[in-house]
Amino acid sequence: MTTAIRQLHGVLVHAAVLALVLLMLTPLLYMLTMSFRTGTEIAEHPLGLPTELAWENYTRAFASMNYLRSVANSIGITVSVTVLTALFGSMAAFPLARNSTPAARIFIMLVALGLATPNFVTITPIFVIFRDLGLLDTYPGIILAFTALNLPLAVFFYVGFIGSIPKDLLEAAKLDNCSDWQIFWHIIRPLLGPATATLSLFVMLMVWNDFTYPLLLLTDREKFTVTISVYRFVGNQNIQPDMLFPAAVLGSLPLLVLFVVFQRRIVAGVTAGAVK
Amino acid sequence: MLSRRSFFLFTLPASIVLGLFFVYPIALTLQLSFTNSTGVGEADWIGWRNYERIVSRDRYPEALWTTIKFTLVVVTVQTLAGLVLAALLHRLPAIRNFCRAALFTPAMMSFVVVGYVWQFIYSPFSGGLNSLLRGAGLDDWTWGWLGDPDTALYAIALAHIWMFVGYTTAIFLAGYANIPDDIEEAGRLDGASSFQRFRYLEIPLLAPSFTINVMLSTIGTLKTFELPFIMTRGGPDGATRTLSLEIIDQLFGNYRFGFASSLSIIMLIIVIAVAFVQNRYLRKRELR
Repeated sequence: MTTAIRQLHGVLVHAAVLALVLLMLTPLLYMLTMSFRTGTEIAEHPLGLPTELAWENYTRAFASMNYLRSVANSIGITVSVTVLTALFGSMAAFPLARNSTPAARIFIMLVALGLATPNFVTITPIFVIFRDLGLLDTYPGIILAFTALNLPLAVFFYVGFIGSIPKDLLEAAKLDNCSDWQIFWHIIRPLLGPATATLSLFVMLMVWNDFTYPLLLLTDREKFTVTISVYRFVGNQNIQPDMLFPAAVLGSLPLLVLFVVFQRRIVAGVTAGAVK
Repeated sequence: MLSRRSFFLFTLPASIVLGLFFVYPIALTLQLSFTNSTGVGEADWIGWRNYERIVSRDRYPEALWTTIKFTLVVVTVQTLAGLVLAALLHRLPAIRNFCRAALFTPAMMSFVVVGYVWQFIYSPFSGGLNSLLRGAGLDDWTWGWLGDPDTALYAIALAHIWMFVGYTTAIFLAGYANIPDDIEEAGRLDGASSFQRFRYLEIPLLAPSFTINVMLSTIGTLKTFELPFIMTRGGPDGATRTLSLEIIDQLFGNYRFGFASSLSIIMLIIVIAVAFVQNRYLRKRELR
């Protein structure tokens, strides 16, 4: 091939792949453009750009979804779960990575079982336990449920990480009369930064977007997370596009903004986490 | 090595949370599965009757078969599509990062949003897909995608694949990053074409990424509930009723807590068996 043809070939291949990727993004663009069109406009011309921006779609969705409140709920629940999962997970992982007693081995086996168990296996009793303990429809309840769901991953993750910390470092601290807690808090915890960042990304994504637990464990509108308020606002009968699309945009907005800003780190983190 | 006391104290918070919301619930699920509990009042021990019911009615094996079909389609298509996309992007460094992020974007959204948007895309009259087909003069191709039992499950599978194919691609690209440059270079010097390198060098070297992708997507799709629940409620005619959807329906639609528990136990056994077999088979394959 001459250089000119080779160059043309290269441009064509790039353009074709780019077109393919943009094709994959059309549902997103569809969601965005539809969200600014009125119901009658969509009924008359199902495809097309908005003739003028129907902001009233957004003001209605914003108010009926109790949007700010639900965003605040999602943030509160997500942050609490992430902190508790990281703290409890790293604490438990410390002795599990250092000891090979039968108790430690049983604990690790339980954690492995927890990793494979879908939450549908435990959903019935969790509902019963929550009802009996008065945890239904409370923040502590749903936070604990999510923490339990993510703890196996956290323990597993941290055990691998703490196991790779040189033994000598911890032995030296022990000789200096550090207590186990001091070793954990002053030596191990600062080293766990990168692991915690990756783990937190996983946990945050999972908790923020989860649908099942809020659907089953929350009924009070004031406690709804973003996901569930989108679901309740749009409903499941006779779906109206001028309600569906603005709600969908508002529902994905917080994470999409975060993603646009931190996309490289998020993709790298989630992939690295999966690979480990 | 930590003292017994430290071991106990450090694992205490995790033990309480896992004990109360994981170990105890699993034991309770097992126990409930042998009762006719409705969630309130006393329940009777009914032995294996729940399990006999699962086996004897067509409805439940069908839900299992629906789940398996969905998993097979999603895992196969998503893995292959992710592999091809990664192979293309690996060869096009100029647009690699942009495309990886673009493909990954749907994975940042929730099932609720993706479910609703695709439900409308598939809707018969003003939906995006049929409108597009009509606009292209393909009126004969328009279809009630979610209303036809023959297409509904595959329509949902497509939405699911769309949501996660970027994730699969990103994992394969991470696998590509681990392939040493000189191996690719050697292949090139030996005159291997781009496709030959893909087939005989890259695919074998990507085996660990295959394992991760197949296992992650299998576990994710075997328990799938959200998209069928939002898009079709398990319909039409039960064509999209997966095992998880059946569990939720029995639990919150019929208040059959005992029966829902027996379905949960079946699900646990299947998921663990599949994870175990896949892990063994795929790891062995990696060594070759």
